[in-house]
Amino acid sequence: MADIRLVDIVKKYGDFLAVPRQNLTIEDGEFLVLLGPSGCGKTTTMRMIAGLEDITEGQIFVGDTCVNDLPPKDRDIAMVFQNYGLYPHMTVGDNIAYPLKLRGMSRAERREQARITAEKVELGPYLNRRPAELSGGQRQRVALARAIIRRPKLFLMDEPLSNLDAKLRVTMRAELKHLHHELGITTVYVTHDQTEAMTLASRIAILNHGRIVQLDTPERIYSEPADIFVAGFIGNPAMNLIAGEIRGGVFEAPAVRIPGLDAGPSGPVVLGVRPEHLRIAETGPIAGPIFANELLGDSTLVTLRQRGTHICARGPADFRRELDQPVSFAPTPDARLHLFDAENGNRIATQSF
Amino acid sequence: MKRSVLSRAAETIILLVVCFVALFPIVWMFLTAFKNPRDAYDISLNFQPTLQNFVTIFSNPWNLGHALLNSTIVAGATVLLSIPAAALAAYSFSRFRMKARKSLFFAVISTQFVPAVVIVLPFFLMFRSLGLLDTRIALVVVNVAIVTPFVIWMIKGFIDAIPLDSEEAAMMDGASRLRVIRDIVLPMAAPGIITSAIFSFILTWNEFLFALILTRRHATTLPVALTNFRTERGDLWELMSAAGVLITVPIFLLALVIQKHFTRGMTAGAVK
Repeated sequence: MADIRLVDIVKKYGDFLAVPRQNLTIEDGEFLVLLGPSGCGKTTTMRMIAGLEDITEGQIFVGDTCVNDLPPKDRDIAMVFQNYGLYPHMTVGDNIAYPLKLRGMSRAERREQARITAEKVELGPYLNRRPAELSGGQRQRVALARAIIRRPKLFLMDEPLSNLDAKLRVTMRAELKHLHHELGITTVYVTHDQTEAMTLASRIAILNHGRIVQLDTPERIYSEPADIFVAGFIGNPAMNLIAGEIRGGVFEAPAVRIPGLDAGPSGPVVLGVRPEHLRIAETGPIAGPIFANELLGDSTLVTLRQRGTHICARGPADFRRELDQPVSFAPTPDARLHLFDAENGNRIATQSF
Repeated sequence: MKRSVLSRAAETIILLVVCFVALFPIVWMFLTAFKNPRDAYDISLNFQPTLQNFVTIFSNPWNLGHALLNSTIVAGATVLLSIPAAALAAYSFSRFRMKARKSLFFAVISTQFVPAVVIVLPFFLMFRSLGLLDTRIALVVVNVAIVTPFVIWMIKGFIDAIPLDSEEAAMMDGASRLRVIRDIVLPMAAPGIITSAIFSFILTWNEFLFALILTRRHATTLPVALTNFRTERGDLWELMSAAGVLITVPIFLLALVIQKHFTRGMTAGAVK
């Protein structure tokens, strides 16, 4: 058990700057998710913590120890790989018990521990099989069991669910969450899937181009995105981002005219509003012809298009109207509107309507 | 796609001709090995088979047992020395990012480009000044030098096909680099390594030129001993064939073992 501190971490591959000067503290016991599009440096960051990748500059501390020069085996960190990284020539039991074998535990004790751990991830009946005889989900569990059989200081998980089918992913997600609750071991989890991030994380670090754009709880990232990138990345369906202009508290864009906003800022801005914060109304500040209706089951996503701008609202499940018919959206009573600087993308203000 | 009867017939005929050309000398050798001297030049299949030739080649003056021992020791020692070294070298070439890795690897492989005839004389002079002519040690040294680059290249192919994830997982689990090689890489590359070992055994077993030049009496190997059957009394074909069978059969058996691994080895890298 320990907190992990990354201090001024830099990673370069030749001239390519993969991770520019990063600072990050991972609190003891928390579930931190590194979230970002592919190539944003999240896996590189994790591999530097693991010791699988050299650090160009900066320091990594586990507890009070600087681990920069420690090989992976001496860092007491367990890792679950995207492709599982199982040992195909060993049985499931031997795979799971391999970390204990390396620590010189006796054969009998190893077997017993492997059995107990396998039970925990429901692999009990498969101990004598080889990885090749298992399904993807079972292989994933072997990788997981191998990581939890010793109590490491830190868990690293590199997109562990990305090779599973959608249904299994949801089940395994819940199991991971339960496991973290049960073991209480600090976990760093890399993913590009925002749903995984939202559901698992105690805190999310959103990365873009190697930089941490926002580091916060899932709730606050959802309700107060730091900039346009975060706003567009988090949430499904994605937040509406409408480019327009604000003057004297009135936001104007094609098909949109929202008065009554904070009178402070003026000039070109981007207005962000989530589809669930817009309702279908007889008349409203947003109007245009219907571009698409998508029934989700519990609701219908209605998209209107006006001069190249798409705006999406969550309507009732029984909403029916032909395409190209006019429709109006109005903010819901609990709506939160975000204003972003049109130039640098930073959030200027968030206000409830 | 259906092919015409004609093209299929042509294909069959070509295959038969190729098979005949390839197999005839071998069949002839196997038959002759069991013939009496007076039947040796007779192509007929109607003869009284005898094992006398095999008795003769192991007794005076031929004493092929000694050459058989030499061949076994030289080929065995070559494998035992070259395979471990080659496996480690192959791992390094496969995994470590080092400066000039490609040029270094090319340098190793390029030793294979030099025709043996060109370097046999320098080898002869070298071993003469070392006093190692006509010794098994000299043959082992030469064969290790010949076989190792080739085997490095072969094993590297197998190691390249092993996913890096498993190795990194083992490191995270607490294994040192050497432990990873022992516990993970070598077992996973085992089919390739066994294939390479058998392959280098065969290469050394059949090696003729160096054995001919560097040995005289004590360290002669089987292929060289074959030449003894060209005597002033003429070529003793039935004895030469018997010795040929003796050389071929072990290789034949090894090839049977290797065959399964070999095809697997060649396709291993195909599917990632």
